[in-house]
This record gives sequence, structure tokens and C-alpha cells, in this order.
Amino acid sequence: MTAAAQERPSGAPSPAATVEAVNVSRWYGNVVAVNDVSFSIGPGITGLLGPNGAGKSTILHMAAGFLRPSKGTVRIGSSPAWRNHEMFRNVGLVLEKEAVYSFLTGYEFVLLSANLCGLSDPEEAARRAVRAIDMEAAQDRRVGGYSKGMKQRLKVAAAIVHDPQILLLDEPFNGTDPGQRLQMMDTLRRMADEGRTILFSSHILDEVEQLAQNVLVIVAGRLVASGDFRAIRRLMTDRPYTFTVSSSDNRQLAVALVADESVFGVELGDEHLTVRTSQFADFTRVAPRIAQARGITLQELLPTDESLESVFSYLVKR
Amino acid sequence: MNATVFALTLRQFARQRRSLLLFGLALVPVAIAIIYRLGEHAHQHEETASFLADIVVTAILPLACLILGTSALGSEIEDGTAVYILAKPVPRRDTIVAKFAASALISAAFVVPATAISGLIGLQGVSGEGIVIGFAIATLVGVFAYTAIFILLSVATSRALLFGLAYVFIWEGLITDLFSGTRYLSVRQYCLGIADLIATVSEEDFEANLGGVEGLVLATVVLAVALVLAVRRLEAFELTGTD
Repeated sequence: MTAAAQERPSGAPSPAATVEAVNVSRWYGNVVAVNDVSFSIGPGITGLLGPNGAGKSTILHMAAGFLRPSKGTVRIGSSPAWRNHEMFRNVGLVLEKEAVYSFLTGYEFVLLSANLCGLSDPEEAARRAVRAIDMEAAQDRRVGGYSKGMKQRLKVAAAIVHDPQILLLDEPFNGTDPGQRLQMMDTLRRMADEGRTILFSSHILDEVEQLAQNVLVIVAGRLVASGDFRAIRRLMTDRPYTFTVSSSDNRQLAVALVADESVFGVELGDEHLTVRTSQFADFTRVAPRIAQARGITLQELLPTDESLESVFSYLVKR
Repeated sequence: MNATVFALTLRQFARQRRSLLLFGLALVPVAIAIIYRLGEHAHQHEETASFLADIVVTAILPLACLILGTSALGSEIEDGTAVYILAKPVPRRDTIVAKFAASALISAAFVVPATAISGLIGLQGVSGEGIVIGFAIATLVGVFAYTAIFILLSVATSRALLFGLAYVFIWEGLITDLFSGTRYLSVRQYCLGIADLIATVSEEDFEANLGGVEGLVLATVVLAVALVLAVRRLEAFELTGTD
């Protein structure tokens, strides 16, 4: 399912594209990690979305030139990413792995990146990057003593120190607390507003919803949807939702609910009902009314299939 | 060479327990030489040359280079920090050369003085006959060749230490002693040839199986080939993980 036309199954690279995959596959022995994926993204924030093990990191690693595609090509600008260290003049990369040089201070870690990029004023660039992720207060402490969230932010600072036009981020919000997450999101939004291309992976729907204008949805190594996130969400609204419902009389409530036109089916369990409905909002309004009309006390009404994996598994099955 | 990578590697070594191990390793020949000097010796030249060949060149030198050479880049690849260097516009060649230079510098700083000091202790009271300077230069050349080999191993396999130990003890320590034809493929034999070229002792006291010039040329070839292969391997470096 493709919500908006961003897929390019084959052919020459789009001139405007900054990150492009053309019929890319990657397999490890008999295991296919990425299967014939094509996309083209430009300035703005694109979320690479999918359940754990879907192939998101593999795609990002190929985009960063750290994996050779078994088939197809990944291009950064007009050049293949594989064996192209020069592209890092224009690309910043944050990988999921937590490892950092624990003996360096935060500032030294970012300065290391600035020096490796050959910047003319690495000290000033490092200070600017540390300021951008609001880490000045901790910059003189050794990185080994940082929390996971602080390390994540520091890795972002090191990735943006040379002011790259393209940012590739693998699960950048892992381990960050809500405040750090919001702060990092602001930084990324600001960079996108300045015309940069940001591709970040996540398995958290909420993160992508908050940050990305466009998404690439990967399930089991395949690109199953791409384009504007809101358009994909609209396409998803007609799928059945599953609720867990507990009440003072589950059996009687089940009989009443199944008669409602928005309800597809009801399963009576030992302690709760499992209800499937096509109308998320309607059901949350109707169910309490039905219960009240029959003198039943509603104790719990929870949507249970809101995980990314179940939502996108549904998309794939369709 | 990239100066930032070079300085970073030196800092890494300064903080690693491997550096302490290296220091301990360097003390071994000195301690043995002191123990040796406690007794009476009629053939100091022969015994000291033999000690330097069998203990320093055969064991201490390759082990010191193994410890540092395999960790210079190998430990970063293993823990994932290598990406902070590799995801930068630094040519892989510069990275390898910087890692090589830092490892060789530290190895040489431990092994060469240990060779010279233990040699001087062993030869105390008699003329040097070029043995100390010969073995000091030979171990320096050996440091370069071995370090290049172990850096190549560290980018070629995640079990560099294991393969390195097998190489040192099985190939260099055993096979090249059993079959004379393998002397052209042995860094140890190159080193002994160079030491023999510089030392002026009689053949009864010390004689290598390989000429010194041949040893120097072959060590240079090994150094160059190992570094070129390491660069190529690093250019094709792939991250593991299938997510």
C-alpha cells in the first residue's frame, strides 16, 4: 500500500533526491533482511517506521555506506553510498549502538568529530553543536558517566557538528526521557526547516507521528507504505479496532454490544470481553451508553491493537 | 596519517589494561637477564644472542605487537565505536596508517628498550660485538611487520587475538623452525637475519637462517602488503546486525 507517490521502482535517480534507494535488497545467507525496496526522499523529516527486525537498521546502514546492498543501489545525492567515505562531508550519522568513547568528556567527543571532519574552527563548531542539544552543563563530564539519553543526545551533537545536509538517525530517541525527546525533536525540526534531509528510524508510532511529515513503512523487509503520514493514517481508519472491555456483567454487555452496527464481533473471555469495531471514536461513545442503558457498570474500555506492529501487520495482510 | 585518530588511539592505549600487560611483558626479558647474570658464564655472546633470539624475538616481540595491533582498531570494531571514525570523511588509508603508527610506537617503546637493556645486562663485562644494537634494530623492524599483520587480522576477523596467538605460537614458533623453506615467510626469521647482519659475533655464537638484506626487504614487503590489505578490508567494512 502506497499512500503517496514517492516510490520509484526503477530508473535514473531523481535530480532532487538526496537519499535514494533503487530496487535495493540485502540478504544474509538465506535470510532476506530487505527485499526490493525503492524510495526517494528529499529535504524534510522522513520516518523509517516498522516493527523490530523489519529491516530499518539494514536500510539505514546501507544508506550510510556500511552495508553493501546484495542487489540495487543506495545513493546519497548522485553517488552510491557504498565505499564512499567522502559523502560524510555532507552526511551525519547516529547509530543505535550505545557505545561511545567513555574516557572522553562530552565536549571532547564532539570535538573529535569536528576534527575528523577537518573543520576550520573545530572548537567553535563543537561548542555550537553541544549548545544545540542543550548539553553545555554536562560537557566537561566524562561520557562514561552519562545516562543513555545523554549519550544519545551527544551522538546527535557529534553527527551535526559539521552542519551536514543529510542526517541519518537509527532509533535516535532510544533511552531519552520525555524532556530530552522533545528537545531533540525541536532540534531536528529546526534543522529540517533549514532545508536538511533527515531520515530517522523508529518502531514507536508516536515518535514518528510527532516528528515526520513523510514515512517509509517497512514490514518484514518490504516497503509496504510510503508518503505523507496523515494520508496513511486516514487509510488506516477503516481497519477494525480491538478493545478490551470489563464490566459488572460481561455476558449481558456482550449481547448488547453485538447488536450495535459498529461492532464486528465480541469474544467473551473469563474476565473481559474482546470487541472488534470499525469505528474507533463511535465505539468509545456508544459503549458507555449501551452499558448505562442496561444498568451495567463499565469498568474498563481499552484499545488493545494500537501497537505499530499490529497496525502495520494489518496493512500488509490487506 | 590522521593526527586525530593517532592521538585518540594513544589515549585509548593509555587507559587500557593491555598497556599494563605490555609493561609486564617488557619486564620479562629484563628479569630473565638479571637472573642469568647471577651465575657464571663462559659463553656470554652465544648465550645472550640465543636468549634474545628465543625469548625476545620469538615470544615477547610478537606478543607485544599482538596485544596492541589487534586492539588498535579491533576493539573499536567490536564495541561499535569505530563508526565514530569511519562515518567521517577520513580516507580509510589515513585511519589504518594512524592506527598502525600509534600501535607500533607504543610497542616499540616497550620492546626495543627491553631488548637493549636485557642485552646489555647479558653482555655486561664483555664487548658487545653489535649484538645489542643488532637485536634492537631487528626488534624495531619486527614491531613494524608484526603490527601491520595484526592490524590486518583485526579488520579481517572478529577473532583476531585467537588467530594471532595461533600464528605466533604455531607458525612462527613451531613450523618455521621445523621446515627451513618457511624462513621466507617468517617475520621472526627476518628479524634474526637483520640482527645477524649487524652483529659481528662469530657464526658459532649466532647465525641466522636468512640474510639480513633479504630479511629487511621481506619485512618491508610484509609491512606494505599487510597495510594495503587492511585498507582494502576497511574500505569494505560492514556493520553487523540484521534489523
